[in-house]
Amino acid sequence: MMFMHIFSVLFFLDEVVCSLASVSAVSGAGTHGWRTPVDCVRASDMCNQNSQCSSRYRIMRQCLAGKDSNTMLANKECQAALEVLQESPLYDCRCKRGMKKELQCLQNYWSIHMGLTEGVEFYETSPYEPVTVRLSDVVRLASIISGMDSATVRANHCSDSGKLCNPCLDAAKACNLNDTCKKLRSTYIATCNRGSNLLMPTEPCNRKRCHKALRQFFDRVQTDYSYRLLFCSCRDKACAERRRQTIVPSCAYEEKVKPNCLELRNTCRLDPFCRSRLADFHMNCQMTPHSITSCPNDNYQACLTSYAGLIGSDITPNYVDASYTNFTISPWCSCRGSGNFEEECEKFLRDFRENTCLRNAIQAFGYGTDTSLVSKPVTVPPTPSVRPDLETESIPKPSVNTNDIKPGVDACVFATCASLKENGPKCNLSKNYICEMDPNAETSIVPWEGRSSSSCASGRAVIVCLSYVLFKLAL
Amino acid sequence: RTKRERKGRKLCGLQEVEVSVTQLGLGYESEETVVFRYCSGRCSKRRRTYDLALESIQSAGVLKEPTRHVPCCRPLHYEEDFSFLGNNNKYYTIQELSAQDCGCV
Repeated sequence: MMFMHIFSVLFFLDEVVCSLASVSAVSGAGTHGWRTPVDCVRASDMCNQNSQCSSRYRIMRQCLAGKDSNTMLANKECQAALEVLQESPLYDCRCKRGMKKELQCLQNYWSIHMGLTEGVEFYETSPYEPVTVRLSDVVRLASIISGMDSATVRANHCSDSGKLCNPCLDAAKACNLNDTCKKLRSTYIATCNRGSNLLMPTEPCNRKRCHKALRQFFDRVQTDYSYRLLFCSCRDKACAERRRQTIVPSCAYEEKVKPNCLELRNTCRLDPFCRSRLADFHMNCQMTPHSITSCPNDNYQACLTSYAGLIGSDITPNYVDASYTNFTISPWCSCRGSGNFEEECEKFLRDFRENTCLRNAIQAFGYGTDTSLVSKPVTVPPTPSVRPDLETESIPKPSVNTNDIKPGVDACVFATCASLKENGPKCNLSKNYICEMDPNAETSIVPWEGRSSSSCASGRAVIVCLSYVLFKLAL
Repeated sequence: RTKRERKGRKLCGLQEVEVSVTQLGLGYESEETVVFRYCSGRCSKRRRTYDLALESIQSAGVLKEPTRHVPCCRPLHYEEDFSFLGNNNKYYTIQELSAQDCGCV
C-alpha cells in the first residue's frame, strides 16, 4: 500500500509542478519574478508619493469611473496611463482577508485590474494573498488519531451512547464553549432570525445586516470552530439539516425569486467586495485536472477559505437540501432565462454544483481524511513559482470519492477529547451555595454535583489528549 | 453560627457548568450545549450596618414579616444574548441567560 502511494506521488509530482507554474502565470507575476506583494492600500500611498504615478493613477480612475468604461479604456490616454501603472507597485498588490480597510484595498486593486482585462472575463484574478495559514493543529491531530485508532473512537462515542452521533451538533457545542464563537454566532443568528418570529411572520429579515453579521463571524472566529459548523460530515438527516441551517438560509440564502446566475454574477461584480470573493473562489476552487485532489496546488485550505469567504456576499452558497448521502452546493440562482448565454450560465453553476475540488475539500475536512498532503503546499512560502519540497513518503492517496468514505468511522473524532474530559479527574470546587439566613429561600435549586468543575478538568484533558497524540506520533 | 460559616466555602463569585439547552428547563428543546455561568458563594462577611440593625430588630420581635439580613450573591451583569438551533430546526435567542459578574447585594 505504502509503495503504491509513493509511486503515485512520483507520478504526479511533475504534474504538480506544472500546475504550480501555470498558476504563477495566471497571477500575472511570471514575467518579472514574484515580488512579495504589498497591500494595495500601501501601494496606492506609494504611488501617490510619486508625481508621475499619482497623475496616471488619477487618469486611470477617471477612465474606469464612467458607465461606459470599456470604450473609455480604448482611449489613448487611458492606455498610456495603464502602461505606466503596470510598472508601479499597484500592479501586483494584494489584499488580506479581514484586513483593516479591506474594502479600500479591494477598490484600489480593481482600479487597476479592471483596466487590464478586455471586456468581461469568466474567471478573474483574485486580489487576495494566497492562503498560507494552516487549519490549526487540532484538525490535523484529529485526523491522525482517526487514522490510527478509529476503532477506539467509535467505541468511545458513536455506538456506545445509544444516541446517534451528530458531528454538526458537536461543532455547535465546541462553538458554544468558546466565548468568541458563541458571541458572534449568537449575534448573526439573532440578526438573521429577527423578523422571522411567530409574532411577525410576514416581516422580512434584514438581509444586508444578516450578511454583514455572517461575514463578521467567518472573518473573526477561528476556522477550527467556523469550518466545523460549516463542513461537518453527516450520517443522518437531522445532522444534514443542522448543517444546512448553519448560515440561517431562510434569511441569508433563500429569496422569493431565483434570479438568473449570470444576472447574479453581474450584480456581484458591481460590488468590489463580492467581486473579489468570487474571483478568489474561482481561483482556489477551480477544478484542476492535473492535480491529485482536483484542487489548484492540492490546497484544500485555500478552497475552503474562499468558499467561506463567499458567505455573506451576493453570491452566498449553501447546501441545497438536507441530503446526507450526497450533498449539493449552489448559490441561490438558476439558469432559467439565460437565452444565448445558457452555456456560460451552466458553466458558472457547475463550479458550485459539480465541483470535485470543493467536494473533496469539504469531505476531507468533515471526514478527517489525512491532510498531510494538503498541508504540504501550505508550508511553502507564498511563492507559487518556487517548487515545494514535497516529502514523498508522507503523502497518502488524498482523492476522496463519496463511495470511498466509510461513514462514521472517524466522523466523531472531535468528541474524543470531550469524552476524555468527562471521564477525567474532577476538581471539588464548591457546592451550590444558597443564600444564607433566607427564610424565603427556595430549595428547588438542583445541584449539579461535580459538574461545575469543567474548567479544571478541561486543562487536564488537553494535556492528556496532547500526550496521547505525541505518543501515537512517536510510534 | 459556626454551621453557617463553614471553612473552605468560597466567597461569592462566578461559577460555570455545561448543560444542554433542554436542561435549562425554559421550554426549549435542543441538544446544543451551553456554558451556564452562575453566582454562588458566601456573602456573610459583606454585611452592612443595615443588616446588623435589621437582625436585631427582627430578633426583638418587632417585625411581623420575615426579612433577609445577609446580602445575597447575585449577578451584577448578564452575558449578551445566546442563540441556538432547536431540535425543530428553528433558531431561538435567549436574553440574560448567563451571569457575567457577581456581587453581594
